[in-house]
Amino acid sequence: MRRFLSTTLATLVIAQTMFAATTTDNNSSAKTQGREPSHMNSVLLPNRSPLVSFRLLFMTGAASDPKGKEGVAALTASMLAQGGTRTMTYEQILNAFYPMAVSFNSQVDKEMTVFSGTTHVENLTRYYELISQMLLDPGFREDDFKRLKSDAINFLKVSLREANDEELGKEYLYNIIYNNHPYAHHNVGTLSSLERLTLDDVRDFYKRNYTQSNLVIGLAGGYPSSFQPQIMADFAKLPLGEASKTKFAAPKVDEGMRVEIIKRDTRSTAVSLGFPLSVNRAHKDWPALAVVASYFGQHRSSNSYLYQRIREARGLNYGNYSYIEYFPRGMFQFEPDPNLGRQQQIFQIWIRPVTPENGHFVLRAALYEHDKLVRNGMSKEDFEATREFLTKYVNILTATQGAQLGYALDSRYYGIADFNTYMRDQLSKLTLDDVNRAIRQHLKADRMRIVMITKDAEALREALVGGKPSPIVYPPNANKPKEITDEDKIIEAYKINVKADDVVVVPVERVFQ
Amino acid sequence: MRILSLIVVMLCVPLMVLAQQTPTRKAFPYDYKQVDLPNGLRLVTVPTDYPNLVAVYIVVRTGSRNEIEPGKSGYAHFFEHLMFRGSKNFSADERDAILKRAGASSNAYTSDDRTVYHEVFSKEDLDKVMEMEADRFQNLQYTPEQYKTEAGAVRGEYDKNSASPFSKLYETLRATAFKKHTYAHTTMGFIKDIEDMPNQYQYSLDFYNRYYRPEYTTIVITGDVTPERALELTKKYWGNWKRGNYSPRIPAEPAQDAPRSAHVDWATPTLPYIAVAFRAPGFSDVKKDKAALDLLAPIAFGENSELYQRLVLKEQKVDFISPSADDQADPELFTVFARIKDPKDVDYVRDAIIATFKRYTTETVPQDKLDATRSRVRYSFALAMNSSEAIAAALAPYIALRNTPEAMNKVFAIYDQITPADIRAAAQRYFTDNNRTVVTLATKTAGSKEAGN
Repeated sequence: MRRFLSTTLATLVIAQTMFAATTTDNNSSAKTQGREPSHMNSVLLPNRSPLVSFRLLFMTGAASDPKGKEGVAALTASMLAQGGTRTMTYEQILNAFYPMAVSFNSQVDKEMTVFSGTTHVENLTRYYELISQMLLDPGFREDDFKRLKSDAINFLKVSLREANDEELGKEYLYNIIYNNHPYAHHNVGTLSSLERLTLDDVRDFYKRNYTQSNLVIGLAGGYPSSFQPQIMADFAKLPLGEASKTKFAAPKVDEGMRVEIIKRDTRSTAVSLGFPLSVNRAHKDWPALAVVASYFGQHRSSNSYLYQRIREARGLNYGNYSYIEYFPRGMFQFEPDPNLGRQQQIFQIWIRPVTPENGHFVLRAALYEHDKLVRNGMSKEDFEATREFLTKYVNILTATQGAQLGYALDSRYYGIADFNTYMRDQLSKLTLDDVNRAIRQHLKADRMRIVMITKDAEALREALVGGKPSPIVYPPNANKPKEITDEDKIIEAYKINVKADDVVVVPVERVFQ
Repeated sequence: MRILSLIVVMLCVPLMVLAQQTPTRKAFPYDYKQVDLPNGLRLVTVPTDYPNLVAVYIVVRTGSRNEIEPGKSGYAHFFEHLMFRGSKNFSADERDAILKRAGASSNAYTSDDRTVYHEVFSKEDLDKVMEMEADRFQNLQYTPEQYKTEAGAVRGEYDKNSASPFSKLYETLRATAFKKHTYAHTTMGFIKDIEDMPNQYQYSLDFYNRYYRPEYTTIVITGDVTPERALELTKKYWGNWKRGNYSPRIPAEPAQDAPRSAHVDWATPTLPYIAVAFRAPGFSDVKKDKAALDLLAPIAFGENSELYQRLVLKEQKVDFISPSADDQADPELFTVFARIKDPKDVDYVRDAIIATFKRYTTETVPQDKLDATRSRVRYSFALAMNSSEAIAAALAPYIALRNTPEAMNKVFAIYDQITPADIRAAAQRYFTDNNRTVVTLATKTAGSKEAGN
């Protein structure tokens, strides 16, 4: 599974070596959260580690892109994290980073923009001087703008649209579920709006959104006690502003099932499906649904129902997973990145690519299994095993200082206790009845949206609309057990409830346009 | 977000980060215990201060390098998949149930020289995990039907990767640069061999019998554990494992006698890619050449190299450029990968990369740049080593190559000694025209052409 590492990939692991000699203490006891007199908020996790991690979180993101300026939030963040300051070019910044082996990264989601980096405490002063200048005194230079705008366009046009069917399918699913909603466009923007964006748009977005009121300073590690007041004083240079209070409504999605088939010249068929979910981490049913998503499709794990039925029993593909929170870049990582907090989420099933001859069958299998989940719920045994798994697995999610800080910032956003405590407490109180009620209440699929990516899109559309049986194609002499072949017969004829108007073919050139 | 994060992760472009250490400080700073069982199995235990969790990394010294028979490329990786299909005392379902109860993150990977099975989980589950792992290494069991099903999953893995032009570029680079050695194929294998996997059940049994033996295997345990406890469990569950007697004859790659090139026509729209590679030495913890080239990689082609700053930041002709120079058992490639924004600039970028290789055969790198690189490496290590699992993951390549964490210390001691003249000497030895392979990839057009040299 079981990850395949090419030679080049393998060396990443080699690069993950170490030097730090001394003890580190991940049991930070002196956790504090507070609102400072300067209107800035902070989440602080001091400990004795020789490393200091920053997560500087601005409560703004792609959902704040003005109409017609989609992508300006992401481009602004790139200009800050990968561009020069007023006094230093980006080349000079990279040269200064080099001996310290540090970087400064940005991540933009709908409601959050986070800047993160970690330095050895020996380099804290120099590193902080650089990154604080990058955020507080940006250069907004023409040559950086030209480069980063071109990167954004090529990311959508080439890297995502033409080189990664799985991520393309997942992102496009969000696009169609949130049609006409502030979450509608990809975080990087749309191709047409990016072409039009100007440096003044970036300056304007920065001025309006990078404010003290939108900022939460996240800091973890062995920094000196004098450091936090210094940051607070420095970032008080930002305009005061008003904290973003936008409430994002649930998307308006018509009842029924809709399928969009992206036509692209590709070897295999990728599938993503899902529907809006009215539950986020602040909701009382979130822990119950976390158990369900883990049981049904724990990310990149063989310990999940869908994986067992589609991959392990039938060998149809590489893996099959389910989610209740946005999880970008899932093919490259085992744990999700923090600071992707959203008021609105979707329930999502990710079916990894299958051979085109099994595309119709695997979609039926996913819908059939989801339907069974909603009808039957979880068994007591599965509930207890999954609850035990998650109770321990939270330690892995928060194994590093940077992850602890990220989760702490998210807990602040959702108004819950620190993530490990929250999960342990909630899971210990959870009952099977809670879980099965939550499944019935939140996961019934009366607004399912489906994205498929395949070469012969018209034929697939015809097959979906026609509704004829689509038998699975096994290699010769597969000799499947009767239990599986019997179930195959049910799945191959499983009704996908769509009419001709519900299934459309989308040329790939139109995606993200 | 970083716009290029997807491609960067794919390339993983690790600048073989190497470190300078002061003589008094070892590169691998943790106290560890290394014990050999009479059957040849080695155990390395590294207690850390990170609480609650334990990481178990089982390193098998076989990979796609060992796929010496024609038609069997991709087999080491396929075999890694089979190891999850159940064993005599633990069916696949029972195995999953145990790992689930342990709250484990469990997986495996295969590369050219190694196959690594790894888990991280709560410390109280160590006994059960060790028992279960020992069983699959000694008593793996799968039916011909299960074997065929897993072949379907591997085919699915190839298919999911195939959407990326980079996979094809890399595959073509390997096949062009190597003619005899098994590095000619990627770890994934040739597609024709992947398609034939369902018919090779018997070979899978031979593969297990050859390589899944104690003399090929080392267990690394890091985290909230004592060496005594780790040894006790290793003896208990792995002590009766029988030694094997197989040694593969890996074909040597003959010296390259002319520059090589290849071009891939890509069916769908893409920006052009280029790989410029030179034959380079294999891993050594004794000789200087590989260490010298490791240090040159970030200096010549890293983010603050003159070439990067010219092509990416100033001229903006490429949106990605990065070196790759793995530590491999046998001589490998030192490659620079780039993605070019405008197809008309492919030759320009190729020439600029080749000129940079040439430049360091005559020029010495400035001493201050070398010192900054050593500092970078030193801090890279400190920053990356942020969990018990990260420590085990970092050790795995050295365990595969030399079977001891000391290899890391020895290599870093060599880095300390490297001078600008050593770097130039290594560049002169390896960056010759005859050692060069250039592969390009671009959207197929009426005027598609072979890359020149």
